[in-house]
Amino acid sequence: MASTQPKTDVKSTEPKPEQPITEKKTAVLEEDDEFEDFPVDDWEAEDTEAAKGNNETKHLWEESWDDDDTSDDFSSQLKEELKKVEAAKNR
Amino acid sequence: MSLIAEFLGSIRGFIQTQNGDELRNWLLVEPNVAAHYYELGQQLRSSCPANSGNIEKLVEKHLPEEDDVPEGRGSPWPGFNSFMEEYLKYWRDVDFNDIVKLYGRLSDLLISCANALANPTYGIMLLQTSMSLSEALSKLVMSITKEPSLMAQIQGDMTGDEAGEKKSIVELAADIIQKIFTSCLTDRSSTRWQPPKGKKIAVYLFANLTLKLLFACDKSRLAVQMFTNLSTSGPALSLYPASQRVTFLYYLGRFNFDHGHYMRAHWCFEEAYRQCHPQFLKHRRQILIYWIPSNLLLARFPSQMLLSRPEAAGFADIFIPICAAIRTGNFVAFHQALNASRDWLWDRGLYLTLLYRLKPLVWRSFTRKTFLLTWEGAQGGDPNMMNTNRAAPALSLADLVTTATYVQKLLEGYVPTIAAGNTLTLIPPQGGQPKRLMPSEGLIFGNKQPDPDSMESIVAGLVYAGLLNGFIARQQKKFAVEGAKRKNGNAVLAGWPCPYESIMERFREDYEEELAAADAGETNEPPGEFEDVPGWVKMG
Repeated sequence: MASTQPKTDVKSTEPKPEQPITEKKTAVLEEDDEFEDFPVDDWEAEDTEAAKGNNETKHLWEESWDDDDTSDDFSSQLKEELKKVEAAKNR
Repeated sequence: MSLIAEFLGSIRGFIQTQNGDELRNWLLVEPNVAAHYYELGQQLRSSCPANSGNIEKLVEKHLPEEDDVPEGRGSPWPGFNSFMEEYLKYWRDVDFNDIVKLYGRLSDLLISCANALANPTYGIMLLQTSMSLSEALSKLVMSITKEPSLMAQIQGDMTGDEAGEKKSIVELAADIIQKIFTSCLTDRSSTRWQPPKGKKIAVYLFANLTLKLLFACDKSRLAVQMFTNLSTSGPALSLYPASQRVTFLYYLGRFNFDHGHYMRAHWCFEEAYRQCHPQFLKHRRQILIYWIPSNLLLARFPSQMLLSRPEAAGFADIFIPICAAIRTGNFVAFHQALNASRDWLWDRGLYLTLLYRLKPLVWRSFTRKTFLLTWEGAQGGDPNMMNTNRAAPALSLADLVTTATYVQKLLEGYVPTIAAGNTLTLIPPQGGQPKRLMPSEGLIFGNKQPDPDSMESIVAGLVYAGLLNGFIARQQKKFAVEGAKRKNGNAVLAGWPCPYESIMERFREDYEEELAAADAGETNEPPGEFEDVPGWVKMG
């Protein structure tokens, strides 16, 4: 059923769930991109991660991320394509 | 007249007591100063017009050079008096609304200050003033660069060197500040390994200011001389306050990133991040912006732990899709992921670097996936199982052409659809024509269709880079995996070793080669330690 309400009404009355999220995202991501001066000159080394053992920093990066899963959509498409080409060859 | 005399008299007092802090507090240049600076300017305009020589006379009168200066006391010196003349002229002639002229005057003033600073006996008194003037010029220059009309005006006024090479105002300012840096570097008050004294205290302050300017005008490569000088004779970074260390390492990391030295960039960013106090979220965030891409280019992904930190807010949305695309070898997803964050990445100079330099990793995953789908030993079971297949594991280049051709069509806008008989087929994009691709948007180059030669070339490149382990059997048109036996028959693991480890191994090999060459006397400069980063001076 076609809506009898003019588009502008719909826009102004119905809340847009999408908007707040994207706005928040851009607000968070907008930076000055300048490395500002620090408000203080120096601080205790004990207060930094450098003082704590290497344990924390070692878990910041993943080195083994290879994926053996071939059940996803992309892999299935490739599988099919390979089968097709193989079948065409054997004809 | 009296205000000028008073002013100079006070300055003389600070010189005599060697009070660098008060000199800096009095020798102000910005518009938001107390009214008496403007009064000073007025008096100078009425009593010391240009070319009258009156300023020179006043300075000579109120800042006389003294002989037989007692220990711990100071005296005006010729360089300082020249600087004071410039300073008074500055306030006589300044028009804060004429930015172009202001830039010229402030530059000249800083150059004069730098010359005075160079005095080996008394120059140290001007250290704080040099810093504040450098910061003022730096601030002015950065604000000018944000106004294109002002930039055009200034650039138009400037004449170029030979071959029409025009230096930008940012570069010129960086030049001046770098000279001050050099002056501090060569100060002999302390050695490289002692707590800094004299002008050496300010080495990294001026280095950081220079770097800030160079990066602001996209001329980071000009920092190479400064880093070289630091490596040669610079004091140990650890002797300096945390704020200077972190800032310096951030810029050194950026420099290495810009020059493709991702391992070094990682080492610098890692240390900057670790030494940065946890409460400075903005700074830690700024470091992460370049640290994460550095690691992507080393084939390491940011962990969930890192991405969930407060300073990493929003980064998961940017980087996880990119990582997912690399992991699955999915070129379509790769381009989509980059485009989704294109503006953000582009503004930070990351877009093109990631687009071009992550592609080999996507190719690696893609060839690995094709192998997983085609090699009998992997089919229908755990690829980590013992290889019961007698034939040596290999990836057929023809199979790679098949899968690559399919992906190329996806990139050209073909849509996979279920057709009659429940088969998957590719429907051409709307309009019937494949999308015309930019060179970088295609698998190989634009709309070029994958062919055996291109696939061989790509695989060869991956082998050469150490990402694939094996060789191309040209006759059989296959990539033959090597070392499967050593990996308990796991051909996938043998042929596609952990990329980060491969990259590290390649660095080590290069380093060992350099060592060997140095031992054999083939080079003059032996490499330092493996983890040395030129410019980062560590205690012996």
